Amino acid sequence: MNAADDFEYKLLCDLIQARFGLSFAGSRREILAARVRPRLAALHLHSILDYYHYLRCHPGREAELDRLAAQLTNNETYFFRERHHFDIVVKHVVPGLREALRTRPLRALSAGCSSGEEPYSLAIALYEAGLELRGITWEIEGCDLNRDRLARARTATYQAGSLRACSPEERARYFDERGGAYVLRERFRRRVSFFEANLAEPGALAGRGPYDVVLCRNLLIYFDPQGFDRTVRVLGAVLAPGGYLLLGHSESLIDRSHEFVPTWLEGAMVYRKRGADGTAGGEPR
Amino acid sequence: MSSSSASAADRLAALGAVTGPEREAAILAALEDEAPLVRDLAIRLASRYVEPQVLGALVADGENAARRNGALAALERQGPYAVPYLLELLRSPDAELVMFALQVLARIGEPTSTAGIRPLLRHPDPNVAQAAIETLGRLRTADAVPALLELLDGELWLQLAAVTALGEIGDPAAVRPLLALVPGSVLAEPAVRALQRIAAPESLEPLLRLLSEIAEPGLRQAVLEAVAVVLDFHSDPTPVATGFAGELERAGTLEGLTAYLSEILRRAEAEAECARELGSPGPADEPALALDAAAQAAAAVALTARLRGLYPLVLRRVGDPDAPWAEPLWRRHGAVPREELAALLSHPEPAVRRGILLAGGFDPADLHALLVRLNDGEPAVRAAACRALGVTGDGRAAKVLVDRLQHGTPEEREEAATALGRLPPEALAPLRPCLAADAREPVREAALEAVRLAGAAAFEREVLDAVRAPSDAVRLAALRAVATLSGTRAEVALLRALGDRDDRIQAEALELLAARGGDRIGTTLIALLSAEDSLRFRVIRALGRLRTREAAPKLEALYPEVPLHEQVEIVRAVAAIGAPGAVGFLRGALASPAAEVRRVAAIGLADLATADDLATLAGLAQDDDWALRNEAARGLGRLGLPEGRAALLTLVRDLEPVVARTARIALSKLGDGSGTAAA
Repeated sequence: MNAADDFEYKLLCDLIQARFGLSFAGSRREILAARVRPRLAALHLHSILDYYHYLRCHPGREAELDRLAAQLTNNETYFFRERHHFDIVVKHVVPGLREALRTRPLRALSAGCSSGEEPYSLAIALYEAGLELRGITWEIEGCDLNRDRLARARTATYQAGSLRACSPEERARYFDERGGAYVLRERFRRRVSFFEANLAEPGALAGRGPYDVVLCRNLLIYFDPQGFDRTVRVLGAVLAPGGYLLLGHSESLIDRSHEFVPTWLEGAMVYRKRGADGTAGGEPR
Repeated sequence: MSSSSASAADRLAALGAVTGPEREAAILAALEDEAPLVRDLAIRLASRYVEPQVLGALVADGENAARRNGALAALERQGPYAVPYLLELLRSPDAELVMFALQVLARIGEPTSTAGIRPLLRHPDPNVAQAAIETLGRLRTADAVPALLELLDGELWLQLAAVTALGEIGDPAAVRPLLALVPGSVLAEPAVRALQRIAAPESLEPLLRLLSEIAEPGLRQAVLEAVAVVLDFHSDPTPVATGFAGELERAGTLEGLTAYLSEILRRAEAEAECARELGSPGPADEPALALDAAAQAAAAVALTARLRGLYPLVLRRVGDPDAPWAEPLWRRHGAVPREELAALLSHPEPAVRRGILLAGGFDPADLHALLVRLNDGEPAVRAAACRALGVTGDGRAAKVLVDRLQHGTPEEREEAATALGRLPPEALAPLRPCLAADAREPVREAALEAVRLAGAAAFEREVLDAVRAPSDAVRLAALRAVATLSGTRAEVALLRALGDRDDRIQAEALELLAARGGDRIGTTLIALLSAEDSLRFRVIRALGRLRTREAAPKLEALYPEVPLHEQVEIVRAVAAIGAPGAVGFLRGALASPAAEVRRVAAIGLADLATADDLATLAGLAQDDDWALRNEAARGLGRLGLPEGRAALLTLVRDLEPVVARTARIALSKLGDGSGTAAA
């Protein structure tokens, strides 16, 4: 990287950070370069500086910023990625809430849900655990900053790549194959809804929750330290006391937040929100 | 600036706002703030506003580690500004202070400081001597090599530091002394790492010998990685590697080396598969990365030494997104005698068949063997066979490739189009039906791509017809093919496409016209400036790219009337054209209320400024906008005048690291040897 590259990337990185709270400083600049390259080609632009000016000044900038956001957070996801997290919800979160769930549904949020694989995986896991038969229901919400991906999530229609971690039996059980695509069956789509939110904004989840469990996996890695802390505060604000925050395997709150108690479950570290007494021992209400 | 009485955010804001005589005290206090973000800001401010002597006093104060660390970080950020003071510190009787000064000098990386450091190699305090060795290594100055080689007979920790430093410096004079340390010395592994960094061709044969002899796994893997780097830099490694393999074969010891390399290649592939299963893109952690590097090294040795039994293990990784190294490595070092090619092409594993087809270098004599693979049961192998047929450049392959283009999978179609593009244009007659208006859209689009690649002259009529096709994709592909044609008809087709109903096609046509150049294009584009539509933005950019001098006055006249995004492009275009009067226009644009206009004007000024613009650049050096300060630094460096030095010595301590770096580069260009002089 020469000084001119440094200059151009800083302009773009600052813009992205201000707009989305995402950080591409240091070695992550290569990731940024790879992700904006298709946009430069599509717009017939020749340099990062061209693209920066386009995003700052061009009449089409708002639409392009939406596309950029999709490109930047375009993490490949698929059904049952890190499957143990769904086991945690079934084996630990739900049993701990048994009394409360007699009178209300389990509430979960999939933050940065992309095209819906994660919230639907959770819905399938809950359904398959036979909770309905025991009178337990759930409400799962998924949010993402990209409306195209949310639109795709609402169709619940997927290509084979999204099902790579599903066995042939699971594919047959959960999906209908239509014209080479896989459509999630209605019974798993019920009680899953989606909304648009930019988690980098402090009020992104205002009026939402409280949730018993929040899944936010492989999203915080994109934030700078301030954005990370801000987003964790946003998620903490909508989590019920004692509620669970599930992060990706490379994300950690240890030494970063006093609001959560790290807990080792099913071979993974999860985080429980402290209650008023400072412990996470109480059940979410 | 208490750490406890206000939140970190409040302290951060307060520190950023403090000015006047209290600033220095506030900054120094904040160096020991409990919040990392506040400390980081304090370091940046200290670098900008606190003199090296004051920071040096904090370094000397052994009682306050937090302030000392902050001061060291600030001195490092000051870079060339702090170097003279740091060199003075090297004469201090306080050994600890000397070591801190060396540490900062190493991080600053100013090569002119070597002379001041070299006497410390024989410092009575071995810790200081060690720090001096490490610093010389970081500074990479070759004139330190003889002194460092002498230290290889000294105390063990000084030897270790010297070995590492010799590797960092990279002078081949160190190869023999370093090889003498392998394998029987405690310094064997550091010596191998140093040899890897030096990567001298003369170390290849001895390192290969060590690779076959060493049994200890850690050291052997280090040697393998060193061999791979040496191979990479070697201009002709094959004779050395094959000669050595032949020697092992005659001695009956080749099998041991082959088994070792095979094991590494297999483990790395299994690891990559496992990571894919878990959803990680590429090697996920340090051990996986190390294994991937070892596999790459093992493949390099296997190919250069012609260890043919290992070829399938390498070819399996070609086309594997987790092994992007495999294909280029095969292209560089892989070689298969024709009599052995058939076995690889019909290998029972599809991945091996595909690998050799993707990476192999083929010629017309291979045609028959390749044609067989077009009937392979695996679509990916058939697609790879299309690519290989293109590599032969043999026109006889055209007919079968056209068949794949018409009837193959999308992947086969794409590869067939690229392959057809590599054949002689006169062989492409079978492609004609695919260009006809009644051809299926993806087939016609692919055929146009093939024609574009091969040269469209023989298909001018078909291509010009396709420019009027109803399908956007076909029109776009046709336009790209048209651009390869010479003559008026092609130019007219491109100009007409500027009015296409699809914006993307308009933009593409303009790009193609600009890339085509020519006398008339400038005139045409200037005429298009009067049209107030979305294309004008691109027309302005194209005029800048073409550096059409006649356009400059028109652009300047248009500037006040157009929206912001076009103003930005006009300023950029005027700067790129660089016609007389451009600097005056840019100076005017610097007064724009729009930050983006000011920024592009500053960029232009940095490119075009003359000595007359020193005052303007000095003014920009004090602007609140870091981008303007950065361009001031760049412009001052470009001018290389001593009068710019004072401003650059301030900019080199800029709060914004990008600006500081630009200023540092600029200072090194002043040419008066004053790059490191603070006073």
